Amino acid sequence: MSTLEVKDLHVEIEDEERKTKKEILKGVNLKMNTGEIHAIMGPNGTGKSTLSQTIMGQTNYHVTQGDILLNGESILGMPVDERARKGLFLAMQYPAEIKGVTNAEFLRAAINARRPEGDKISVMDFLKELDKNLELLDMSQSMTERYLNEGFSGGEKKRNEILQLLMIKPQFALLDEIDSGLDIDALKVVSKGVNSMRGDNFGSLIITHYQRLLNYIKPDVVHVMMGGRIVKTGSADLAVKLEKEGYAGLRDELGLDVKLVDGD
Amino acid sequence: MTPDNLLKLATENHEPDWFVQKRLDALKMIDNLPLPEVQRFDFHNWKMMPDVETIIPTKVSANKNIVLTDIFEAINKYPDLIKDYYMKKVVKTDENKFTAYHTAAMNNGIFLYVPKNTVVEEPIEINLVQDSKTPFVSHILIVAEENTQFSFIQKTTTEGNDESLANCIVEIVAKDNSVIKYAAVDELGENVTSYLSRRASVGHNAYVDWSIGLMNSGNTIADFDTDLYGEGAHAEIKVVDITSNKQQEGVNTRVTNYGKHSIGNINQRGVIMDRSRLVFNGIGHIIHGASGANAEQENRVLMMSSKAHGDANPILLIDENDVLAGHAASVGQVDQKQLYYLMSRGIDKKTAERLVIRGFLGDVLVSIPSKKIREELIQTIERKLADGQ
Repeated sequence: MSTLEVKDLHVEIEDEERKTKKEILKGVNLKMNTGEIHAIMGPNGTGKSTLSQTIMGQTNYHVTQGDILLNGESILGMPVDERARKGLFLAMQYPAEIKGVTNAEFLRAAINARRPEGDKISVMDFLKELDKNLELLDMSQSMTERYLNEGFSGGEKKRNEILQLLMIKPQFALLDEIDSGLDIDALKVVSKGVNSMRGDNFGSLIITHYQRLLNYIKPDVVHVMMGGRIVKTGSADLAVKLEKEGYAGLRDELGLDVKLVDGD
Repeated sequence: MTPDNLLKLATENHEPDWFVQKRLDALKMIDNLPLPEVQRFDFHNWKMMPDVETIIPTKVSANKNIVLTDIFEAINKYPDLIKDYYMKKVVKTDENKFTAYHTAAMNNGIFLYVPKNTVVEEPIEINLVQDSKTPFVSHILIVAEENTQFSFIQKTTTEGNDESLANCIVEIVAKDNSVIKYAAVDELGENVTSYLSRRASVGHNAYVDWSIGLMNSGNTIADFDTDLYGEGAHAEIKVVDITSNKQQEGVNTRVTNYGKHSIGNINQRGVIMDRSRLVFNGIGHIIHGASGANAEQENRVLMMSSKAHGDANPILLIDENDVLAGHAASVGQVDQKQLYYLMSRGIDKKTAERLVIRGFLGDVLVSIPSKKIREELIQTIERKLADGQ
């Protein structure tokens, strides 16, 4: 069993134009094990994406206090690629597009990055695994020869993130609003992909605004984030309750002084 | 080079009198001609005109519908065609010192003649190997008669590490309604100083597609020219370029629209590493009378090192009102978002950088018509980037 632990995490970002710093995360605590699916819900602008990007190692986010531990080891000093090879994966809201590099080539590079020199994945094994996952995600073969995310629709990009998840097989996957912009059929396919990963060696932290996704990927634990902190943790029922009463209801119930605003 | 040496070389090579005379006349011109002009790029002290003492034959073969021969064989076998076109209609001997030197000292070459109404299905492939022990003054003359279609692929490499010169000129005569896809991967060695001139003269409704991978490791002056003489003449010029170490490279890519409704697009991508220097001049010239002409160009340079120096200069010279013309140019650094995305999948920084560079070159790479040359070029790029990192 592996663990991912976030301890009293404070994070700020720098506004390069205005030369000002802004604290986004104000003491986040979270612990999860492989075998578990956690969901983080919360209104816009509350720091959910900041949390996932900070765990992954985006350098625009500065940790000013606290720690992130993977299997008891601090990963704060590690660059993003090392964190990825240690077992973290982030399905992004806005994946980059790279013309001239095919999806298949990129996937092979990612898989081989985890394997020792001289033990690269064979073409046969790679294609077998790829075909299996393409079928699971209802994706066409031609997706693999297209250039990485280039000209992909919103839905295709999300599926492609999940395809990478299935090919790379991380210990922990952070899914950042993987449901945004998906129609119901695509949502089902994406959920099927994530569910196929479920097991003792996989844990996932799902970030979402809406409860809808959680109808398809049942979480073991639900956290609610507001104002840069996790303000409530509960079972899957918590998400249902939130959907009914809204974030304002929970805020008032908890007596928090947090403004709910639109826009991240 | 003295006239006597040149005469001896040509006589031993069994060249006809008219050709020897053309050499001798050119030799006399060198001193009075200027260097080629490459804006913002200084190369006046480069040693570019060594004595030539040997002839380098090239073995080629082709199907029976076309003529593909060593240029010296062509001089004797097809003297009228060579007299008509060689260093006369497309590139002219008296343009500058290097063109005159070329005519005087040419010691290697190929002649391709595609007769009227001929479509060649298989690409015509040429591999040239420059021996670093001798100067390489190489000429490719391509004459495409009306209604012809073919692809021509040229690869040029160096054998040996001696300091040497390459002066290579490619002339393409694209007559009316011809369609020519020309692709080249230049991979001359690090001790080779080169002058590469490629030019096409494009007739009515003819189309020339240039895909050039400038992957030399040594100092290079490149002059890529397209003259759109015919009405509706069309050219696409794609150049990808990587410079590394202390390499200096000046690239002039020019399209001149003479014909009405002629179209010329330039798209160039350069990656500069280490302490290298790269100047991209994109020159679009629309001549008075070329109404309805279209000239677009994009020149972009990616800096991989703060010690590298890059320039991307669009130059538009427009002497006609009724035209469409536009340009974009940039000198920038690696896209951090792309780099982060790749690294977030566990790919190490160096590999990720190489993929991002491929992405930068991608715009041009994906538009290369031949899959084979595209893949070869990608391999060459990977090799060159790995060496430079």
